[in-house]
Amino acid sequence: MISKNLAQLVLNECLSTGAEFAEIFLEETEEEKISLDSSIVETVSSSLNYGAGIRLISGLQSVYGHTNNISKKGLLDLASMLKQSFAKERIRYCSPIAKVRVIAKHKPEISYQEISKEEKIKFCKKIEKSMHIDKRIVRTVVGLLDTTQKVQIFNSEGKEICDTRVRGRMSLLAVAKDEKGIETSFQGPGAQKGMEFFYKENDMEEIARGVAESALTMLNAKECPSGKMPVVIGNGFGGVIFHEACGHSLEASSVSKNLSVFANKLGEQIASPCVNAVDDGTIKGGWGSGNVDDEGYPCQRNVLIKNGILTSYMVDSFNGKRMSAKQTGSSRRESYRYEPTSRMTNTFILPGKNTFDEMISSIKYGLYAKSMGGGSVNPATGEFNFACNEAYMIEDGKITYPVKGATLIGSGKDILMKIDMIGNDLKRAQGMCGASSGSIPVDVGQPTLRVSEITVGGSGGKN
Amino acid sequence: MKYDIYFQEAKKIGLEALELASTSASSLSFSLFHGEIENYTVAKSFSLTARGIYHGKFGYAVSEKNDNTTPKYIVEQIKENALVNETKESAEIFKGSQKYTNKNVYDSSYLKIPVEHKIALAKEMEKALREADKRIYEVEISYSEEEEEIRLMNSYGLNLKSKTNILYYYVSAVATDENEETKTGYKISFSNNFETFNPKAIVNEVVEKTISQLNGKPCKSKKYKAILDKSVTASLLNFFLQSVSSEAIHKNSSMLAGKLNTLVASKKITLEERPLSKNMFFRGFDDEGVATFNKKIIDKGVLKTYLYDLKNARMDKVEPTGNGYKGSDGKAHVSYVNPYLKPGKNSLEQLFEMVNEGIYITTVQGLHAGINAQSGNFSLQAAGYLIENGKRGQAVTLITIAGNLFEMLKDVKEVGSDSELLSNGFTCSSIYLKNLAVSGN
Repeated sequence: MISKNLAQLVLNECLSTGAEFAEIFLEETEEEKISLDSSIVETVSSSLNYGAGIRLISGLQSVYGHTNNISKKGLLDLASMLKQSFAKERIRYCSPIAKVRVIAKHKPEISYQEISKEEKIKFCKKIEKSMHIDKRIVRTVVGLLDTTQKVQIFNSEGKEICDTRVRGRMSLLAVAKDEKGIETSFQGPGAQKGMEFFYKENDMEEIARGVAESALTMLNAKECPSGKMPVVIGNGFGGVIFHEACGHSLEASSVSKNLSVFANKLGEQIASPCVNAVDDGTIKGGWGSGNVDDEGYPCQRNVLIKNGILTSYMVDSFNGKRMSAKQTGSSRRESYRYEPTSRMTNTFILPGKNTFDEMISSIKYGLYAKSMGGGSVNPATGEFNFACNEAYMIEDGKITYPVKGATLIGSGKDILMKIDMIGNDLKRAQGMCGASSGSIPVDVGQPTLRVSEITVGGSGGKN
Repeated sequence: MKYDIYFQEAKKIGLEALELASTSASSLSFSLFHGEIENYTVAKSFSLTARGIYHGKFGYAVSEKNDNTTPKYIVEQIKENALVNETKESAEIFKGSQKYTNKNVYDSSYLKIPVEHKIALAKEMEKALREADKRIYEVEISYSEEEEEIRLMNSYGLNLKSKTNILYYYVSAVATDENEETKTGYKISFSNNFETFNPKAIVNEVVEKTISQLNGKPCKSKKYKAILDKSVTASLLNFFLQSVSSEAIHKNSSMLAGKLNTLVASKKITLEERPLSKNMFFRGFDDEGVATFNKKIIDKGVLKTYLYDLKNARMDKVEPTGNGYKGSDGKAHVSYVNPYLKPGKNSLEQLFEMVNEGIYITTVQGLHAGINAQSGNFSLQAAGYLIENGKRGQAVTLITIAGNLFEMLKDVKEVGSDSELLSNGFTCSSIYLKNLAVSGN
């Protein structure tokens, strides 16, 4: 996007008032979105995101700016505005710039550009059709989004890093309606892969049918009873519990400022001994994977918890300075409009030895939270909440009837200690995670697992 | 900026009509940590959102790049995308309303105040917070200011402009008690004029909000008489308003279908859209160029109107209501500006007295997942206080409140007089509910 010479010129301008580090992040992202509403193609849109972000760091202070004007003048103007935040003597010049080799591990097999809009639409319609399994399915929305993000990163340590990230995601939504009410169900499978992910690697029609079935099931659901009870949390998107209740509190952005319940706890038991968890940005084609992070460091597999003991945080280089820790390839941002910070990639609990049946049959009275909606957490207090999309009561070791309106609440440090059975059916699921550096693709995941006690909120009264 | 070239290019490749919306924005923000500036961000941004008609259908394109390649890129993408669009209704680009209300809500005075002064005010608040109570052990303060100019132009010669600015201080504190339970409290204070910030009032509010939550614990699971704080009320009403959208009605996703001129809420509820209120959120026209106007959506409990963009208005053969706002893909959806809940006569304290024994909910979490906008069912993590002997009492935390939004609105006994314009643009008051299911212990 820009030449080494221009980058050098801009970085030197940034460093002229005493900054010790400067970085330029350039981006050109093409996005195509197709959306069908009840079999009709309603929107096809193309977008081009384009711009540059410049970051200056001095000590524990960072200055950031972004612009859509990436001409020499545009970048130099931004650099000279940003440098005014520091008023010291120059301490360094930009090192000679050399290109760092990036190994492209997540290349699409069938590129989105090779496939015509007509063919993509035909495919979406085929998938959409399989959701119409019952006349109570009154609305279906199917979307296909693909993005190609090209980035070029320069920094004052003399590095130039170029990377291309190609992602695709389908969204499947079914609305079921009868005289009693309306229920919706959603799945959004995606990957850092091409169309092969939808054509070959997944049975999208099967997934779509599952979405419709789930919405229909919930039409017949009773109000969820409330109270404390054992809960079996389903695999795949059930991992959002770990993402919210624990993952966010292990990000250096809160840990380094002592704003996390897990700050200063390395080497300590923070979870029950059966819990092992990783943040793995290296999974081939993973939705949250990367060749390099948004500072240009290679993504890596970080073991966060081993046998219940906290072994690592997720660290970006800026917050790493404050807490004297090495970066872990975890620095991410939505786009050039955001300053990067420590974020998750693909974060999940590793499989254990229990079977699904063992877990269900071990419970006299409890909840099976088969599929979770989203949730949130306050990293300072560790308090979290998340909603169940599809849930069932467990009575005398058997799944009995569906319930709606169930919410699980608690605090991260308690629930991690109360996980007492972990299944052997690890599955990952895709999501978008929002935080200070924007909305980014991440995988959550876990095997089915049992929590010995959790507070369930629902409007069906206390049992 | 020259936009003529876009219309010329559109003509060249045979687009029947073209609509351009440009947004030029500039912003500055910083955050403070331990008395020092931690992050400082400046930005200038531009984006062009376009839609055009080809063979009677819409195509959409968006670009942040703006050089001599952009006009061609935009019109060609529109043509390609329109060719595969299957919407039955033919597309329409609006020729213009007869009259537009314009109020100048842009206040440039903030630009004359040096950044040092804005930083000094943040530092002053941090110091005051730390000195206010020794249980406060961490403080986060950030400031941001942004201004935005939007222009809407189309092939019929419509050319509308709107310019706004908004300044925010976000102030939060973390406190801990002897049991090492941690609580956070925050306040977002905003204005378009820097001189109106009242640092003392902000600090006092944050201290009170944070410290009063300490020693909070779950309460008994049961149904309570309840007061929802205005911020909670506003969040929930925003979900209710999704069902007033004509788009939701047409797409089989609204419980309010067929409910026009019937009672959908308690008689105490009068809910309006006031886009023409003279505040930072003012809009004289929507994203499709339709003039906006103030309107009652619910009048004393009775649903008076749905909200319409151009497309859905045509489907129902009614006039658009100036509620077409575009998403990031350029497609118009039904939305609204400056929603307003008409306040009642009783202060918050008087509501406490009326409740006597009950619960006062001040925050809810997890709205993006814990509420089903269509069915109205919700189950949300919440916190607040018990109401004991007609006064605010014991702090309550880690509870959930559950119910159905549509039923809840019928259950409103009183609306408070504590009306305030909140940072999400809702002017709202607290409400008193006869019954709320709470689960805790």
